Amino acid sequence: MTSSLSRITVLMCLACICMAIPADAAEQTSFINDVVPVLTRFGCNSGGCHGKLSGQNGFRLSLRGYAPELDHATITREALGRRINAASPDESLLVRKAANLIPHGGGQRLEPGGKAAQILTDWIAAGTPGPRTDEATLLRIEVSPSSSTLANGDLNQLAVTAIYSDGQRRDVTWLTQFASSDSGILDVAPSGLVKALRNGESVVRASFRDQVEIATVTTPYAEPVDPRLYAERNNVIDEHVFNKLAALRIEPSPLCDDATFIRRASLDAIGTLPTAAEVRDFLSDADPHKRTRLIERLFERPEFVDFWALQLGDILQNRKERDHDVRGAKGVRAMHQWLRSQVAAGTSWRDMATSVLLAKGSCDQEPAVGFYIVTVGEKDADQSEVADSVAQAFLGTRIGCARCHNHPLEKYTQDDYYHFVSFFSRVTLDRKKPEEGGTELIVGTRHLLNLQRELQNKRAELQTLQQQNGDAQKVDEAEKRIADLARQVDEARKSPVEVSQPRTGQRLAPQPLDRSRDAIPPGDDPRQTLVNWLTDPRNEQFSGAMVNRLWKHFLSVGLVEPVDDLRATNPPSNRPLWKTLNGEFVSSGYDVRHVMRLIMNSRTYQLAADSRESNYRDTQFYSHFYARRLSAEVLLDAICQSTGVPEQFTGYPLGVRAIQVPDPGVDSYFLALFGRSERTTACACERKADVTLPQLLHLQNSDELYRKMKSPEGELAKICAAQSDDNAVIDWLFLSTIGRIPRDEQRASVIELLKTGDRQEVLLDVFWALLNSKEFTFNR
Amino acid sequence: MFDLHLNENRRSFLRVGGLSAMGLSLPTLLRSQARGGEQRNHRAKSVILVYLGGGLSHHDSFDPKPDASEEIRGKYHTISSNVTGLAVGELLPMMAQTMDKVCLVRSGSHNNDHHETATNWVMSGRFGSAFGDWPAMGAVAAHESGFPGTLPPYAAIPRNPSFTWELGKSAFLGGRYESFKVGDPNQDGYRVRDVSQAEPLTELRAQRRQSLLKTVDGLAERVEGNDQIKAFDQFQQRATEMVLSGEARDAFAIDKEDEKLRNRYGRTTFGQSCLLARRLVERGVTFVTVNSGGWDHHAKIWDGLDRMLPDFDRGFSALIEDMHGRGLLHDTLVLAMGEFGRTPKINKDVGRDHWAPAASLLFAGAGVVPGRVIGATDKDGGQVTENPIHPADVAYTVLDSLGIDPRKQLHTPDGRPVEILDDGRLLEELYA
Repeated sequence: MTSSLSRITVLMCLACICMAIPADAAEQTSFINDVVPVLTRFGCNSGGCHGKLSGQNGFRLSLRGYAPELDHATITREALGRRINAASPDESLLVRKAANLIPHGGGQRLEPGGKAAQILTDWIAAGTPGPRTDEATLLRIEVSPSSSTLANGDLNQLAVTAIYSDGQRRDVTWLTQFASSDSGILDVAPSGLVKALRNGESVVRASFRDQVEIATVTTPYAEPVDPRLYAERNNVIDEHVFNKLAALRIEPSPLCDDATFIRRASLDAIGTLPTAAEVRDFLSDADPHKRTRLIERLFERPEFVDFWALQLGDILQNRKERDHDVRGAKGVRAMHQWLRSQVAAGTSWRDMATSVLLAKGSCDQEPAVGFYIVTVGEKDADQSEVADSVAQAFLGTRIGCARCHNHPLEKYTQDDYYHFVSFFSRVTLDRKKPEEGGTELIVGTRHLLNLQRELQNKRAELQTLQQQNGDAQKVDEAEKRIADLARQVDEARKSPVEVSQPRTGQRLAPQPLDRSRDAIPPGDDPRQTLVNWLTDPRNEQFSGAMVNRLWKHFLSVGLVEPVDDLRATNPPSNRPLWKTLNGEFVSSGYDVRHVMRLIMNSRTYQLAADSRESNYRDTQFYSHFYARRLSAEVLLDAICQSTGVPEQFTGYPLGVRAIQVPDPGVDSYFLALFGRSERTTACACERKADVTLPQLLHLQNSDELYRKMKSPEGELAKICAAQSDDNAVIDWLFLSTIGRIPRDEQRASVIELLKTGDRQEVLLDVFWALLNSKEFTFNR
Repeated sequence: MFDLHLNENRRSFLRVGGLSAMGLSLPTLLRSQARGGEQRNHRAKSVILVYLGGGLSHHDSFDPKPDASEEIRGKYHTISSNVTGLAVGELLPMMAQTMDKVCLVRSGSHNNDHHETATNWVMSGRFGSAFGDWPAMGAVAAHESGFPGTLPPYAAIPRNPSFTWELGKSAFLGGRYESFKVGDPNQDGYRVRDVSQAEPLTELRAQRRQSLLKTVDGLAERVEGNDQIKAFDQFQQRATEMVLSGEARDAFAIDKEDEKLRNRYGRTTFGQSCLLARRLVERGVTFVTVNSGGWDHHAKIWDGLDRMLPDFDRGFSALIEDMHGRGLLHDTLVLAMGEFGRTPKINKDVGRDHWAPAASLLFAGAGVVPGRVIGATDKDGGQVTENPIHPADVAYTVLDSLGIDPRKQLHTPDGRPVEILDDGRLLEELYA
């Protein structure tokens, strides 16, 4: 106590001495506007260093300076103030460590005596002034040039200007951190010097303080492309895709053949392999519009409902809780059934989102309450992951970072996060064990819930008293208590809607992420205000989150990647296309089938997967169809269909297909191995696209697959018994697995092999090879 | 849907593919990663983690309290070991004669008594998830070593630890780094799932299949620049090698071991798992978890330990002696631990409950000084009185011994930088 008191005295004295420093120096060096940017630019407060939660060697700063008031206290007062030497600023630990003049784990961050070191010493000389309320605040930054076209190998210097609330404009290029969003295409030096490494287009992200901006750099291919290759276009999607390809001089691959199209379209729209008969019929159909007709037929198939309920189940995390589950498999199935009915009825995404977000009451009657059971769980809503899940599922954006610190790549601050969380501060779960009835979502605080319960009990008590002609005094007391409780309930209903920001302790009211605000009348469900904002046609993030998922579903690569990481600093690879698709989705009334129809009918979707010399490097402008491994459920169903032997899922009747299984908790070695979504978060990354060694071992050698192939009830056994013509059997094998008839040389080698061994055995090996081929395991 | 991120795949692919292309073997690679060319004698090529899931009672095994009251002391007497002054529980006669080859840590300590949370903590070195959201050390080792040999780098015998859900997982590192589960080697006709087939192929058919595969699958020739296709081809090749080359089949052919040696390990799941762990390590697997569950003796603890301790005694002592005899301890770190110890006081159901403040761990090999005891607990075995050792310290030491920088930064799929470990220190007292 004594020592800390004397410390304060010393500090105050030092502050007095420092007052003697010329006033202009004190004014010029601002902690927020000068010192923090230096600490940020040179990585002192980065996540790998002093900015991480536990700090580094006892010195902890807020990540990228999101909490300057804390940093100021840490630097000037912590460790007995030994980081600052007011008498001799150059000798301060802060400066000497950063310049590595005394051993520093992080090495030399600043040049001794350089510009950055000077800012620190000036600030120390000025008496280490802290953040002030009256100083100019940073409004935004500008990067120039914001877009440029460079030839391969060209250099270009970016310049960054900071604009402050007092109108001041400062060149902050040297204090800006630059990052290339694709280091294979663009290289950017710490100075902001950009170098084009490869043909394509990418962005450089420039961060200064809590502002982030981007500069787009385009590097077209050098070789001219025959303009006729861009001429054939089916719809508005092709306009934008081919314009982009033309601008970058990337050649598109030709249209895929009909056999490829029916396989691709069936797998993507209904998660189901076309049968041999379906392929044959399609190939022999002479109608020039047969592709469009097929698309419409697929939308009507029952498997369409199965497959899209599965996708929605991923987004809405429909699973049992990881611990202390209250719904059981029954609850998960009920929500799945609800999703199926929404898909079948063609409910718009807007209406579905509204139903989920406003769900209340018992999960028995209102299955969508399940979304809150999983995302809120046993916590209070404002402590739970519900806000993160809502943002990721419905806005395709990740705000979880801002729970603990300002988002490093986006403008979201910790305040923004808790403002958003505040929308869910009236969500309270009355959790019940399944045998006690359905868990209920109550709109109100837990305090309100408790009061309501007490009120209910009292009323019941009173009724009993009255029925039994009870003691008048007791009746009187009960009536008084009821009146009192009713008043308290009313008050609790009207109490302001807000949550506490844990760092500042400030109470924050609901506010959307774009900081637009609508007052919420007391007693209203704040979620209604959220839904109004979310589903406003001008809210491009809501439509974009779904459009981007749909686009990625069909075209393998999202217009924005990662698919659910929409933010200003991660722009779509084709902005006009992005605008058009969002416009189409909104004007169709958020009809997902409308967007699917546009995509599937586009020439872009129908291009061959085959690459050409001039386009194989392209992985983001859709010059060819990007082949991808089938997802877990689709691949398993495809194997079952080709072999004719269904998979038995525990707890479900034989014949239930993998895409129909509602619950990711159902035991399945295959589905786990091939990366089904465990639905732990709303992140699309839950569904694993990895190709792994055990997967390939399983396809090649598993007893399960082998049993299916050679089952006496299976398709191969049947066709071998029924067909003595080897050619017919070979045709069937190819058609039912990879959806095409064999090429002549393929047929010839199989016929040749048939002479070398037992017919059944050779055909089994052909079947094995087909099921292990990429033409089977990939959609291409 | 939503399942392809080409850039992500490219990075992983280059990691895997690049290794052999550069002609680097695992030890060379790891050595080249060692910080500052520091010369140390504690260098492991492999790690065997014997996981005693549920929590071994330290009172009844390696930290007996013969002078405590009966409700604490328990049923067992102590026996002296071949290390002067070191006594162990009477059900560990073979370990008693092996204590000169291991280092006993009696001061394992933390503060979480939930199976899943503590298991993820001790297996990863990081606290804060009940659900295995931090990658286990084995997965980190796989991530850092890549796929240097025919066998996968991270194996679990028979499988990963699991209570209500599975742990020991690769978490955000991705499916490629999950442990390879090899099943129970004590089963009659033991086969590894998807490696040994029910009906092994003749040479002729194996060749026919490979040639057919080439005939029917032309996709890779027509499509260039697709990382998933490249990875598929690469792992297809590896899978074929694993099944046909004989190297992997040989690794799992536990029946090729001498009967006498098999019996020395014990014809139990645990014993044969230990033996198989040795075979895998001999063939270059980086990290092997031998998972022994069922140590959660809340009730009837004497029945449980009477049955389980002798199996452990036999299997683990055989492992240490066999590894020692073959010179494998030189560059293999062997570690036995559970997620916590058990309560000093016997409960009303004649059991001991979860107890995080104190537990015993065994270390051997890769430079660990044998025959030493580190740390101590109080007279009741309830609290550590000397040198508390935390999960992060253990993980730090294990990773360090493999030449992996425990402070290295990894990235989660959403781009968040995280250190492998944010805490912990090298347990230098194990070495010097």
